[in-house]
Amino acid sequence: MGALQIENYIQMSVLLFTIGALAALALGKRDRLCNLVSNGICIASGLLLMVASVMKLLGASGLIQIGLLRSTLPFLALEMKIDNLSALFLMVLSVLVVCVSIYSIGYISHYYGKRKVGLFNFLYITFILSMIFVFTSSNAVFFYIAWEAMSLLSYFLVIFESERMENQRAGTLYIVMTHIATAFLLIGFMIIYSYTKSFDLFGSSDAIPDTAKNIIFILFVLGFGTKAGAIPVHIWLPYAHPAAPSNVSALMSGIMIKTAIYGLIRFLLDFLGVQHVWWGALLIGVGIVSAVLGVAYALMEQDIKKLLAYSSVENIGIILIGLGVSFTALAQGNETVGALALIASTLHAVNHTFFKGGLFLGAGSVHYATGTKDIEKLGGLIKSMPITALLVLCFSLAISAIVPFNGFISEWLTYQSIFAYISPGQPGTNILFILAVAALGLAGALAAACFVKLFGISFLGLPRSEEISHVEEVPVVMNAGMGILAALCLLLGTFPLVIIRLIDGVAGELIGRSVFDQLQGGFVITWYSMDLTGTAISPFEILIALGVLTLLALLAIRVYGGKYIERKYGTWDCGFEGINSRMQYTATGFSKPVKIVFRILFRPSRKTEAIGGTDYYPDRIEYKVASESIFEKYVYLPAYSRVRTFSRKAKFLVQTGSIHNYLIYIFITILVLMAYNRFV
Amino acid sequence: MSYIIYIIIQILTIVLTAPLVNGIIKKAKAVSQKRTGPPVFQMYYDLYKLIRKGTVVSDVSSWIYKAAPYVVFSTALAAALLVPVSTLVTPANSIPGDFILMVSVFALGRFFMMAAGLDTGSTFGGMGSSREAMISSLAEPSILVCLFTAGLISGSTSLDRMMTFMQSTGTPLTHPATVLLFLALLSIIMMETARIPVDDPATHLELTMVHEAMLLEYSGRHLALMEYGAAIKQLVFMTLLVNLLVPHDQIIGIAGAGAVVLSLLIYLLKVILLAVLIALVEINTVKFRLFSIPNLAALSFILSFLAFLQYFLMGGGHVWFV
Repeated sequence: MGALQIENYIQMSVLLFTIGALAALALGKRDRLCNLVSNGICIASGLLLMVASVMKLLGASGLIQIGLLRSTLPFLALEMKIDNLSALFLMVLSVLVVCVSIYSIGYISHYYGKRKVGLFNFLYITFILSMIFVFTSSNAVFFYIAWEAMSLLSYFLVIFESERMENQRAGTLYIVMTHIATAFLLIGFMIIYSYTKSFDLFGSSDAIPDTAKNIIFILFVLGFGTKAGAIPVHIWLPYAHPAAPSNVSALMSGIMIKTAIYGLIRFLLDFLGVQHVWWGALLIGVGIVSAVLGVAYALMEQDIKKLLAYSSVENIGIILIGLGVSFTALAQGNETVGALALIASTLHAVNHTFFKGGLFLGAGSVHYATGTKDIEKLGGLIKSMPITALLVLCFSLAISAIVPFNGFISEWLTYQSIFAYISPGQPGTNILFILAVAALGLAGALAAACFVKLFGISFLGLPRSEEISHVEEVPVVMNAGMGILAALCLLLGTFPLVIIRLIDGVAGELIGRSVFDQLQGGFVITWYSMDLTGTAISPFEILIALGVLTLLALLAIRVYGGKYIERKYGTWDCGFEGINSRMQYTATGFSKPVKIVFRILFRPSRKTEAIGGTDYYPDRIEYKVASESIFEKYVYLPAYSRVRTFSRKAKFLVQTGSIHNYLIYIFITILVLMAYNRFV
Repeated sequence: MSYIIYIIIQILTIVLTAPLVNGIIKKAKAVSQKRTGPPVFQMYYDLYKLIRKGTVVSDVSSWIYKAAPYVVFSTALAAALLVPVSTLVTPANSIPGDFILMVSVFALGRFFMMAAGLDTGSTFGGMGSSREAMISSLAEPSILVCLFTAGLISGSTSLDRMMTFMQSTGTPLTHPATVLLFLALLSIIMMETARIPVDDPATHLELTMVHEAMLLEYSGRHLALMEYGAAIKQLVFMTLLVNLLVPHDQIIGIAGAGAVVLSLLIYLLKVILLAVLIALVEINTVKFRLFSIPNLAALSFILSFLAFLQYFLMGGGHVWFV
C-alpha cells in the first residue's frame, strides 16, 4: 500500500463534496449548523483538490485517470482524466472555493431564518461539483452533461433571491443565452463525432477535414464565447452576475466563465490543433472589442456588482487577446511565442479569478453591511469598514494592472508576447497586434478610472445617505476569506515565477515548448523578447524601491522640515456653511467626461424638467441621464421581436394545440424517416 | 558596486534637477512675455518653505489622503530609476524594468492621487480626479503605441537598451519614424505633465484646473511632496524624450568619472533646451476646452501609429537604420 496518489486525492475530494451536498440538505432545518458543516466540508475538500492539482502540475506531464463509469451505451462513458490544463483550472477553482467558503460562513448568516440555507448550500456545492466535472471529463458527452448541470445549477443560484422581478428576468435571459450557446457546442460535438466516431477529448482529430474544422471553430467560439461573456454575446452576464448572491457571483465571475476559456483551449488548441492564422485574428478581434467596450460600460455603471460584471467582460477580452496571439503564433509555427502567449493568457485567467472573486466578495461585504449595492448611496465606508476598504483597494489595484499586484504580470506577459511576435513582412497581423496594444492600454487606463470610482466614491469622502453613516465592519471570517485572496494577489504579483512555474507545465504539455527557462529565476522575471537584447522586470525590486524611497522621503522631510504638526480642519467649502455629502462628486459625475468623450458608444441623453412654481423659481428640478445599450437596442431587441412575431404566427399555423394536427405531424415524420432509410 | 552608483546618480540627478526644469519653463515664459518672472530656483525655495510649515488635514479624509503624497513621490522616483539619465551610467540590467513597468508605476501614483482627490469630500477634488481619469485614459494608448514602436525599432522594451540602440545608430531624428515619435512623445508630455493645451499649472480657476484641483486641499509637506512628485514625473518624461530620440554619449576617448560628468552636462543641456521648447509650445497655444483634449490625444496616437506603419510597412524592418 503506497502513499496516496493524485487520483485518490481527487476522488476523496469529489466524495467529500457529495457528502457535503447531502449534509446540507439533511441539516436544512438548522440554518447555523448546516452552514458551518457544509462550508467546512467545502474548505476541507477544496484543500484536498488543491493539493492534488499542485502535485499534478509539479509532477510529470501526462494523463491521469480519476474515475470511470461505463454504461451499456458505447459512447456514454463517464470518464474523468486530468492533464496539466485540467489541473491548473482545478487548482484555481479549489483556491477560490476555499476562500469563498470561508467567506460564506459569515456571509450566509444574513439568510438565517429568512431563506432555505440548506437548499442554498446544496446548490452551491453541487455547482462546485459540476465545475470539477467540467474540468475533469475526458469525454464529450460527459463534458456536455457536466456543462449543462453547471448552467442549470448556476441558473437556480441566480434566481435564488427570486422574489425580486429583476432577478427572475436576469435568470431567464441567462438560461436562454446559455442554452443557445450549448446548442452550438452540441452541434460541434456532433460534427466531431461524425468524423472521428469517438467522443474522446484526448483522441486524435486527424480524421476531420479542414472545412469541418473551420465550422467547428466558429461554433465553439460562439458557444464558449457566450459562456465567457465575450462581446457581442455578453448580454446575459451583466444581469446574471449581479442577481446572484455575492459568494455565488464570486464563483461565477471568478471561475465559471473561465470554464469557457478552458473549453477554448481544450477543444481548439489541444484537440483540433490550430489550423489558420485567422482563428487567432478572430479571437484577437473579439478580445479587443470585449476589452475596450467591457470596461467602458463598466465605467458607466452605478451598481457595484454590475460594474464588476462588465469588468469581467473586459478581462475576458484581455484573456482572449492573449489566446489569439498564441493561436496566431502557433498557426505560423512559432511555438515559443505560442507558449508564451498561452502562459500570459492562462495567467490572466488565474489572476482574474483571484481579484475578481475578491472584488465580488467585497461587493457582498458592502451589501451585507449597508444593504445597498448602489455606489451613489455609499461613501465614507473606509472609516467604518477599514479592513474591507483596504482589501478592496488591493483588488482594485490588482485589476487595474498596477504593480506590485498580479494583474500587471499577466498584462506584461501579454504585451511581451505581442512584442515578440511583431515582425516586418506581415502587415495584416502587425496592424492587428498594435491595435491590441492600444486596446490593452486603453482598457488598463479605463479600468483604473473605473476602480478609482468604485473605491473612491463608495469608501472615501462623506457618507451619501443617513443609513450608511453608522454601519459596522463585517464578521472576521468574511474578511479572512477576502484577505487570503488579497495576499495571493500581492504574492503572485511580487513573485510571479511561482505561478508561472505551475502554468509552464500546461504550455509544455499542450505545445511541447517550455518557456520557463527563458524567464530567469530568482525574483527577476526576464524574457528575451527578441534576439538582439533582453528585457527584464522585477516587481519585487520595485516594491523594495518604493519602500526605501518612501522611507528616504520621510527621513529627508523629518531632517529638513522638523516635527510633523497637523491641524484638523474642515474641507474648503468656498466660504459657505460647511460641506455636505450632496456637494461631493457623484459616481455619475465622475464618469461623465469619459462618457462624453466616448459618446459614440453610449449615446447619452439627458432631460431636465422644471416642476411647479414659476419658470425662474421652480419647486423642484428633475434631471435624468440615460445611455443606450447599443447591443441590446440594435442587435438583441430586433432579433427578439422578430422571433416573437414569428412564434406568434407559428402558434396559429403550426402549434394549434389540436391533437389531430400533432398526430398528423408524427405520421408525416415517420413517413419521411422511412422514405429516407429506404432511398438514401 | 556599479549598481549602487547607478542608483545614486539617477536619484541625485533627477531630484536635484526636477524643480529647476519647472523654474526654467516659468522663466522662459516670463521672458517671452517681457516679465521678469520668478527666479529659476524659486521652486526649491517653495519646497523648502512648504516642508517646514505645519499641515492642515481635512477632517473628512482618511489615511489614503496622507499616504497619497508619499506614494506619488516615491512612484515618481521609482519610475525615474527605470529611465537612465545617461547611457554611460547604465550597467547591463541595472534595475530590471521596462517602459510597461514605468507606465504601471506611474499608474500607482495616479491611482492614489485620484483617490485622494475624492477623499476630502470636496467638489474640486472629485472634479480633478474625474478629469484626470479621462485624460490619462486618453493618453495611455498613445504612450504605449509610441514606446512600443520605439521598442520594436530597437528590439527591446527595456529603456536602457532602447537608448543604447538609438545612440548606436547615430542621429535617429533624421529618420521619418523617429520624427513622428518625437512629435507624439512631445504631445504626450503635454498631456501627462499638466501643461498648457491640456491643463494650466498656473491657475486655480475651477473651470480649467485638473491637476491642481486634486491637490487643492493639500498643504505643508504633503503639498511639497505632491508638487515635487509632479516635477519629477515631468522630468522623467522629458528624459525619456531627449535620451531616446536625441541620444548623445557618443564620446570616444574619455573614460571613467570624467565621461560620466560630461555626459550628465550634455543631458542637462538637452533637458534645458526641451524645457524652453515646452515653454514655447505653452506660449503659442491656448488652453483647450476639456472636450477638445481627445483631439490632442488622437493626434499623438495617430502620430505613433504612423510611425509604426512607416517602420513596418515602408521601412521593411531593421535594415533601414543603416
